[in-house]
Amino acid sequence: MAIKFEQVNFSYPSFDGTNFSALKDINLEINEFGEFITLIGETGSGKSTLVQHMNALVRPTTGSVTIYGIKIENDTKKKGKVKLNPLRQRVGLVFQFPEYQLFEETVLKDIIFGPKNFGVSNEDAIKRAKEVIKHVGLDEEYLKRSPFNLSGGEKKRVSIAGILAMEPDILVLDEPTSGLDPKGRDDLLKLFTDIHRKLNKTVIIITHDMNTVYKYASRVLVMNDGSLVYDGKPTELFSTNNIENWNLDIPDIISITRQLEERLNIKFNSQPKTIEDLFILVKEVI
Amino acid sequence: MNIIEIKDLSFSYQDEIQALSNVNLSVKKGEWISILGHNGSGKSTLSKLIIGLLKADSGKILVDGVILNEESVHDIRRKIGIVFQNPDNQFVGVTVEDDIAFGMENLCFQQSEIIEKIKEYSKKVDMSDYLKKEPHALSGGQKQRVAIAGILAMKTDIIIFDEATSMLDPKGRASIMEYIKEIKKAGVTVITITHDMKEAVLSDRIVILKEGRVIACGETNDILNDKETLNSSNLELLLPLKLQYLLDEANISNDKVKDILWQLSLNK
Ligand SMILES: Nc1ncnc2c1ncn2[C@@H]1O[C@H](COP(=O)(O)OP(=O)(O)OP(=O)(O)O)[C@@H](O)[C@H]1O
Ligand SMILES: Nc1ncnc2c1ncn2[C@@H]1O[C@H](COP(=O)(O)OP(=O)(O)OP(=O)(O)O)[C@@H](O)[C@H]1O
Ligand SMILES: [Mg+2]
Ligand SMILES: [Mg+2]
Repeated sequence: MAIKFEQVNFSYPSFDGTNFSALKDINLEINEFGEFITLIGETGSGKSTLVQHMNALVRPTTGSVTIYGIKIENDTKKKGKVKLNPLRQRVGLVFQFPEYQLFEETVLKDIIFGPKNFGVSNEDAIKRAKEVIKHVGLDEEYLKRSPFNLSGGEKKRVSIAGILAMEPDILVLDEPTSGLDPKGRDDLLKLFTDIHRKLNKTVIIITHDMNTVYKYASRVLVMNDGSLVYDGKPTELFSTNNIENWNLDIPDIISITRQLEERLNIKFNSQPKTIEDLFILVKEVI
Repeated sequence: MNIIEIKDLSFSYQDEIQALSNVNLSVKKGEWISILGHNGSGKSTLSKLIIGLLKADSGKILVDGVILNEESVHDIRRKIGIVFQNPDNQFVGVTVEDDIAFGMENLCFQQSEIIEKIKEYSKKVDMSDYLKKEPHALSGGQKQRVAIAGILAMKTDIIIFDEATSMLDPKGRASIMEYIKEIKKAGVTVITITHDMKEAVLSDRIVILKEGRVIACGETNDILNDKETLNSSNLELLLPLKLQYLLDEANISNDKVKDILWQLSLNK
């Protein structure tokens, strides 16, 4: 077990003295190896708050999060008896807004910051930077640029590169594909899949794109109003009636299949996973 | 009548990064156009030039028949609302309420009207319960909703949405699209910058940028089918059209299926 949430509640303090409860009684276990998890749920349901607990960026108000054997509770001092640095390296978190992560004067410095902080030599960190920048679809020239003078999608790519360079054991990405062009989205999802398959690492992705969930995930978590309301397989999720209640949607391939069935007044004998599968089914009936 | 005319526009950042080269584009009054293109193709740069936040190296922009320059920029900005790609760049106030009010205050709305509009528009984007909150203490999607409300409330003739729905949940996204259809009907000119083909099909015309140049510009129906252009600009073919291509390649033709797939790709 890499990460374990036990009865986690979390409230944001507010300036008017009231507290806002963003996580309600979360129980959750994340395996160290081999999971490809997508985390979904409506706007404001608590997804970003949940993943910030996974590398002890925030501490639960009540309950506990155990990360690689280290128990984080409300009174766990930020520094002091518990060293959080090793946790941060093992669980790499990419923020929803790349701007929160970029701060150095060049892209290179930004990317090598993490690895160097965790004891990688300058030379090796630079080597890693040259690798990862290519992996996120930017050429080496970008290393010299200022991270602030980039387009939105380019910033996103650099912020992902920075975490990849840390080579964490678990990769947690908060909406990594929002703002990416479709090719960039597909390339990066393929990259995360490769990391998951070849290195047998666990990857957790927050997304609003149901196609990503259906195509890539082995497990899907659904948040709704601060509660974890679903933890299971994507195929089962999309056949339940809760999709609407939770402000989700069905993947395009399912909706096209249903529409074709309805409008042609036929019934296919299976639910295709890809457009190529659907093609084979359609070919048979026309 | 063209409400926006862009002629031979070029722009580079710090004289070295050529972000736009010889862009020509006109937008008709009341039209809805989508601008698509790979990351770094120049979409946001173009939007910032249109509202005069950046100054072109060469070429010109006319808004409502008036050339954009230092004298006219103030008046022109009153006609254009823009929802920035990063909502944080739009927030200046201490509370959500202040932020929705900000644009209206700049346009010198009456105080009573501002109060009324804050209510109306925060409700439209489902953020009425958050008016007293700090904008920075919102979730990503909530920030985008507030940014959209503030711009809609200004009721400008032209509105530019720069990836304004990129972090919204499916329902939120759909409701913003419905709302854009509504304001378009009321005569507002809309420019949406997006990577989402399903959003782009709703607009009248599509413009594709690649490496700072306009490489395609036409009726949505025509662009949708232009496989080569889409491919070469990091965009995607919609799923129903992909299926149609597979059928075509296999020499299978069925008019009924073809028609259904076309309707589906248009979101109908
Ligand atoms: N710093 C903060 N202070 C107070 N409340 C906050 C803060 N950050 C988030 N919240 C509130 O907590 C709730 C959960 O926010 P969170 O960012 O976890 O949502 P999310 O599921 O990631 O949403 P989105 O899809 O919009 O990014 C929201 O209602 C939000 O307004
Ligand atoms: N402030 C800046 N200084 C220097 N170069 C910049 C700046 N902002 C953007 N650029 C560069 O200009 C080009 C166009 O950027 P722009 O932000 O217009 O792209 P975009 O089409 O909006 O991309 P995205 O889809 O990623 O938002 C890119 O190559 C980018 O690196
Ligand atoms: Mg979030
Ligand atoms: Mg942009």
